[in-house]
Amino acid sequence: MSIALSRQTRPRPARRRRHPSRSSLWAHLPLALVALVTIFPFYVMVVLSLQHGKPLTLPSSLFPTRIDLGAYVEALASSDILGWAGNTLVYSLVSVALVLVFASIAAYAFAKKRFFGREVMFWSFIAMLMVPYHLTLIPQFILVSKLGLLDTMTGLIVPTLANAQALFLMRQFILGIPDELIEAAKIDGAGELRIFFQIVLPQCKPIMATLGVFIFLWHWNDFLWPLVATRSPDNYVLTVGLYSLQAKDVSLAVTMAAAVVTFLPILFVYLLLQRYFVRGVTLSGLK
Amino acid sequence: MRRDGSAIALVFVLPYVLLFLIFRIGPAIAGMLLSLTKYKITGDIEWKGTDNFQRLFADPLFWNALRVTLVYTLIAVPLTVLVSLGMAQLCARSVRGIRVYRALYFLPVITSLITSGVIWQWIYSGNGPLNWLFGTIGVGPIPWLSDGSMVLPSLSLMSVWTRFGYDMLILLAGLLAIPREYTEAAMVDGASAWSRFWHITLPQLKPALFFVVVLEIIQSFQVFDVIYVMTGGGPVRSSYSLVFFLYDQGFHYFDFGYASAAGVILFAITLVISLAQRRLFREDK
Repeated sequence: MSIALSRQTRPRPARRRRHPSRSSLWAHLPLALVALVTIFPFYVMVVLSLQHGKPLTLPSSLFPTRIDLGAYVEALASSDILGWAGNTLVYSLVSVALVLVFASIAAYAFAKKRFFGREVMFWSFIAMLMVPYHLTLIPQFILVSKLGLLDTMTGLIVPTLANAQALFLMRQFILGIPDELIEAAKIDGAGELRIFFQIVLPQCKPIMATLGVFIFLWHWNDFLWPLVATRSPDNYVLTVGLYSLQAKDVSLAVTMAAAVVTFLPILFVYLLLQRYFVRGVTLSGLK
Repeated sequence: MRRDGSAIALVFVLPYVLLFLIFRIGPAIAGMLLSLTKYKITGDIEWKGTDNFQRLFADPLFWNALRVTLVYTLIAVPLTVLVSLGMAQLCARSVRGIRVYRALYFLPVITSLITSGVIWQWIYSGNGPLNWLFGTIGVGPIPWLSDGSMVLPSLSLMSVWTRFGYDMLILLAGLLAIPREYTEAAMVDGASAWSRFWHITLPQLKPALFFVVVLEIIQSFQVFDVIYVMTGGGPVRSSYSLVFFLYDQGFHYFDFGYASAAGVILFAITLVISLAQRRLFREDK
């Protein structure tokens, strides 16, 4: 983690191009080929989802002449896919909001306050990054089931809120906020809460956006925890629902339609907030 | 920094401390303790010492899981890192529309492994596009996922698709941080492209490359989602990975103590890799 943290993409001066016309084709060829290979599975997903009830023959199935939304209709009618989408949205958004609130408050104290046990506490949290999630999975499952929260939204969300990466990155960021800024506010008579909400938090916007996007992505795509923490199809998230559909042996077109429904929202978020994804990757190896 | 805010600071960290104790640190300790017990969800907890570990080391299924995980890691990691390195080199050039390419390469990274698994399962299927393609040149059909010796290479190939966009971005950031003067000076001295790569780019890129390799190893050791959705551990347990073993023991047989022992092994492996990384990285400096 330490390596990538210190690295940021720096803008670099544009290169002189000596032979723009000749070199660009050769530069584009490998890039375009890889792009085609990268896109192909998505193309497959969309195309197959639009050919409901038609026999599958290659290669003609990959070049449909007629668009049929029947698979989407069947997916909506025969499964609770909209409900799963709603659950996924709640799981993702509530987690993002709560992690950002709790992590920023704690990170502020860890960065700018002095108190007994600060270092031990902070570094023991960070050390938890070395413990694979899978070791904690079973005790978490037992705990949630003993609390009677199995198969509930609360039971799904709450265990994911202790996010060490968010705390760490947020603290690193707040360390960079000048102490003078906080001291000046204090001299002006601002209280602790006011300093946090009006001075520190507004400065944290970039890191919160980056973290928010990543936490959202992680929750949206999460599979293992929802798989063990939910039981009834009503409480499934999209990934678990998609798996259950596939296991139920519905037609290929319907499965692909459900795959499209799972993928589209994240694509939308990505297109909208792309630079935060890129920044998140270069900032650290989140997840 | 003055000591005045001590009380309020504790209030600020309290929610996180509680969350961590209850949902991370507590379960981590509990996981290690559970590995020393016999605990099925219906019965009592019985202290068993190292019984679970002795059982693990005598269990061919566990050794199979370890072997599958290792083979998968040995194929997937070099393949992914090499492709990422090549693509980072290509993407470091200032070609028109390079941002669009980079954005496209990142798409598989943001796709859930379940979605990817559903799609790739068809791509690999008997009447899928890959076998059609090979069929046109008279090869196949190739049993991508249905043959024990093919399944791990097939899953690795897919993992290149799902992962290279991420690694590429980290390596690209590393590449772009190399001062251009180095390369330019080498060009003036008449160094070939290959020797520039070997003597300038690679040493400068070492920290980023190292980070990517360790990240990939840890991720590969924890492979689960893709296997769960695509092969279910088969055929005949040829893709039955370590986390799959843990899941199977824990949530299929509800043998929590035994599954936790597998979790401790995974922890030990992760720890060794992380410590090795720190050691090697320190020597680097």
